[in-house]
Amino acid sequence: MQLQALMMFTAEAKNTQELVTLVPWTFIAQIINLFIQMYLIKRFLFKPINNILEKRKELADKEIREAREAKEEADSLKDQYESSLTNAHAEAAQIVSDAQKEAQSKADAMVKEAQQEASDIKARAAADIEQEKKKAINEAKDEIGGLAMDIAGKVVEKEINEADHKKLIDDFISKVGA
Amino acid sequence: MSSDFSIVGPKIYATIHTGIPVLGDINITETLVVSWIVMAIITGLCIFLTRGLKVENISKRQAFAEMLVETGNNFVRNNTGGNKFDKLIPFVSALFATSVISNLISLTGLRSPTADLSTEAAWAVVVFIMITATKIKTNGLGGYLKGFTTPIAVMTPFNILSELATPVSMACRHFGNILSGVVIDGLIYWGLGLASAALLGLIPGAVGRLLSNIPILGVGIPAVTGVYFDWFSGCMQAFIFCMLTVMYIANAAEEG
Repeated sequence: MQLQALMMFTAEAKNTQELVTLVPWTFIAQIINLFIQMYLIKRFLFKPINNILEKRKELADKEIREAREAKEEADSLKDQYESSLTNAHAEAAQIVSDAQKEAQSKADAMVKEAQQEASDIKARAAADIEQEKKKAINEAKDEIGGLAMDIAGKVVEKEINEADHKKLIDDFISKVGA
Repeated sequence: MSSDFSIVGPKIYATIHTGIPVLGDINITETLVVSWIVMAIITGLCIFLTRGLKVENISKRQAFAEMLVETGNNFVRNNTGGNKFDKLIPFVSALFATSVISNLISLTGLRSPTADLSTEAAWAVVVFIMITATKIKTNGLGGYLKGFTTPIAVMTPFNILSELATPVSMACRHFGNILSGVVIDGLIYWGLGLASAALLGLIPGAVGRLLSNIPILGVGIPAVTGVYFDWFSGCMQAFIFCMLTVMYIANAAEEG
């Protein structure tokens, strides 16, 4: 029985289909084969590769986005630095000008003080001189008065009331001094 | 070396008796067996190409796989103008891969599944159903049926004929080209065998009889003709079939 089946099989293996013909079962099988193949290609080629392509695209997008963010951050930092640099410049200028003003006012005050002091010293010196002069003149007056009385006494050889004559002489001197 | 030449259909390895009236017996033919080999090759290739996928620093194998996918995507998208038919991409790719590998497998000495009209007819009918489905989806069933009466009602039979001519022409074009390749290859081998037998038969005695059985002229020349009849024709027919599939479906979606 088995041998017979095998012989049948080998006998049929020599059979051939017609060259140009439509065999229904082959036709159906080939439709099914095509769809199985479609599924297999989808499953084993398109799905993994499309996944990878998608991942790569996402990665590239992410990198571009990150680069853009980094650039924006750098730009804002740059702006910040620039503005702070400008501020620092202004501040420095302010400080310098303040210092200059202060120095100027200080110098002015010092000069004024010195002038004041000098003029005070001068005035005091002038007053001293005046006083000394007056003192000297008074002394001279006294001296001269005494002298004149002595001389007059000697000349007149006559005792006169010293007090009366002193008054006279003083009048005389003051008239002369004036 | 036989002196007469004949081309036969695919071998029938086994028959399963079904008793179904119209469909008849299931024949496990060379066509089916080689189809399964082709499917195994394609699937194996897909699995091999997509092993160890990486996002960065990819291997040549992965680059090739990505190129295939990109080519498939671009082929469908460029010919349909947009991403509307992205669902077709695996189908068209499967069609193309199966067609090309089936056509080229004849180089190994196996019989091409595409040298059997049933194969191409199966593909063409699938494509025809897709075209018709797209048309009905685009215009509605009424619009689709009304489309047969344009420009005038008298044209209806011709329109139906031309509609039916699409799958028939697609199937027969592909089948004819591949079969002609098979016939030409067979003829060339047969003719060269005869020629070498005649040539070496000139050598007298037993040596001549022995050598005349070796088709020595069959080395070289079939490789040159094979470039056209197997390689070019095989790739070209696969490409044309897929191109027509995409174009017909894209056109079907634009009508109305």
